Amino acid sequence: MQLSNPAGRRLLGRSLSAALVGTLACSALSTAAFAGTAKVTEAHKVPTAAQLKKSLTALEAAPSGSVKLSETGSSLFYPLFSVWAQRYPHSNVSIQTASTGSGTGQSGALAGTASIGASDAYLPAGDPSTLLNVPIVVSAQQINYNVPGVKGHIKLNASVINSMYTGAITNWDDPAVKKLNPGLQIPPTPVVPIHRSDGSGDTFLFSSYLAAGDPGSFVASTGPNTTVNWPDVSSALAEKGNTGMLQTCAVTHGCIAYIGVSYLRNAIASGLGYAAVENGKHNYELPGKGSIAAEIASYKNIPANGTISLIDSPKAAAGYPIVNFEYAIVQQHQPDPATAKAIVALLAWGMDSKGGAAPGFLLPINFQPLPANAEAVAINQLKSIS
Amino acid sequence: MTDAPLEGELLSPAPRAPETAVAAPPGAFRRRALAAGQHLLGGGSTVAAVVPLFALLGMLAILFSEALPAIRYNGWGFFSSNAWVPGNTYAGSVRTGGVLHPLGAHYGAAALITGTIESSVIALVVGLPIAVGAAILLVERLPRRLAAGIGLCLELLAGVPSAVIGLWGVLSFGPWLAHHLYPALSHIPLGIFRGGYNSAGQGLLAGGLVLAAMIIPIIAATTRDLLRQVPDVTKEGALALGMTETEAFFAVQARWVRVGVIGAAVLGLGRALGETIAIALVSGSAIQYAGNIFSAMTTIAATMVSQLDAAQADPSGLEVKALAECALVLLVITLVVNIVARMLTRRAARGAALPVGAGF
Repeated sequence: MQLSNPAGRRLLGRSLSAALVGTLACSALSTAAFAGTAKVTEAHKVPTAAQLKKSLTALEAAPSGSVKLSETGSSLFYPLFSVWAQRYPHSNVSIQTASTGSGTGQSGALAGTASIGASDAYLPAGDPSTLLNVPIVVSAQQINYNVPGVKGHIKLNASVINSMYTGAITNWDDPAVKKLNPGLQIPPTPVVPIHRSDGSGDTFLFSSYLAAGDPGSFVASTGPNTTVNWPDVSSALAEKGNTGMLQTCAVTHGCIAYIGVSYLRNAIASGLGYAAVENGKHNYELPGKGSIAAEIASYKNIPANGTISLIDSPKAAAGYPIVNFEYAIVQQHQPDPATAKAIVALLAWGMDSKGGAAPGFLLPINFQPLPANAEAVAINQLKSIS
Repeated sequence: MTDAPLEGELLSPAPRAPETAVAAPPGAFRRRALAAGQHLLGGGSTVAAVVPLFALLGMLAILFSEALPAIRYNGWGFFSSNAWVPGNTYAGSVRTGGVLHPLGAHYGAAALITGTIESSVIALVVGLPIAVGAAILLVERLPRRLAAGIGLCLELLAGVPSAVIGLWGVLSFGPWLAHHLYPALSHIPLGIFRGGYNSAGQGLLAGGLVLAAMIIPIIAATTRDLLRQVPDVTKEGALALGMTETEAFFAVQARWVRVGVIGAAVLGLGRALGETIAIALVSGSAIQYAGNIFSAMTTIAATMVSQLDAAQADPSGLEVKALAECALVLLVITLVVNIVARMLTRRAARGAALPVGAGF
């Protein structure tokens, strides 16, 4: 093309504008895809169970040679991860685990000090996109209380729980609680709300539930987060880790605490009760295999980056409302191929219902394996780790 | 020439030229080597002397530069507000006045500063009388062997790591307090004892008592050493004048060690202000003003530790900078406390006959 030639200039101009239009069209299409018309494309793309199984098995191949992996983070995920570390079939991969809270899991993955950061909360959008939030397993959170003398489960909804944490309700026999529990005898006990002092995925889930269920909650202005601005209540306490919450609630009469479902058995053994919580369809559900499965099944589309809130589904009539994915936060680009392969193999084994997601691992802690749509997303993410 | 030296000469001998002290005059090489050795030693000790100064100035400068965006964003509200709000980190960051921050981010350290000062004051009020009393008992009253044994235990206690004491506080001391001490205290008709307590025993009083347990060994050991330095002659002179032992104590020993005890108390206060893990475990970790003496609170150091990991997930980085601002505030408080104590001890020491117990 000769630019001195007017015909050449016209041709150049036309091809440039064609390229410009093409680029704009492509970007418009991709933003449209991000904005939610992915519904159509992703529904077609969910693979069958056999295809998923095949992809998983391919990813589970462990590297040769010894690799050391370190995991840190969520205390809700910890009971499972620590068992995996001992029972992982490939002995050349050594896994170190620690229960430090989702905040530490996120920061460890961000800083690169941990190979896998376990977190109940996905990273904020502003954090680098080279960090993947890979969903691994489905977990939940219950609301525990220490009110001896109650026969049955106390029903609670988001606005009552919010009032307990803001100090508006100071006693368990408050009329607002009685209204939800007609016929249930609740002895008058002062309310002691307990929250997490460290950066916690459980706080993220709890504040998500309050924000979803109560538009006037104390987290309404800033939204859910791993640390929130807890209202000034003189009887309130803060503890470190799910285990701290459990231990303190067990010795404090009148406490209300949000604890991960992997500690439900311990909580019951310590004498704590757990609430029937109001879900998106205004039914009161206890955390259990059926209710968690119903909640997770109501989410048909999982975004490609795995970040989705499963709280308070508006579609699950019998679903338990405080349900989440446990995320493994991993750098997309690993320092060496052996580490990348080891991480992918471990996480793929963790998702496999014949491997780390077998009932023997998940049932005692009330977790559930990923549904097919989430597993497809996770497999794609694992494939991109190198 | 060879007279017996006078007393004055013994106390301040006349300087003698180094050459006359050596048997044979050294060669040029040896002289240069000696001079080089002098320079090396002089230079090395100069470096060692200025390193702490530069470390302190460097720490202040680095903290200040790290905290500067947070200082500009928070303004003076940092000292009057007690809200610690990271904001909506999931909604993206915006810029206000040149500082990147999440929507709704708002940091106030008033509750932290109040909590730090309150818990340290309780620790000092409870710990100082016990420590000084223990030191007096060890030096004045107990038989020498028993005093030596107990003194050894005291020194070992000073070395116990704070995490161990914190764990003891959470598992054993806190619940004990909640079952035995708090019910008794809550009957006192003063405002700070009203309002109830939680049965885990975590809160301001538990934190203050745990801090007291940590500073008692330091203050007691220092006071005991000071009391031992008091010359027996002065004690015997007071007793010979007809004073009782108590009067002699107040007239002689107390006056002698007064300045040093202030220094020891400041040492203990400095440890209490900066104590992190013990208070983090026992205080209840609630970022709020303590409603009464039993309620949960937190200190600057405990908050820095508990919030740092969550702060690093804040994409705008403002929460880490706000924690750096907290660290700066704690550093300044500690420096001010130490400077004031030095001024106090210097003023009191001007009147002392001998420099015993001064210059802490």
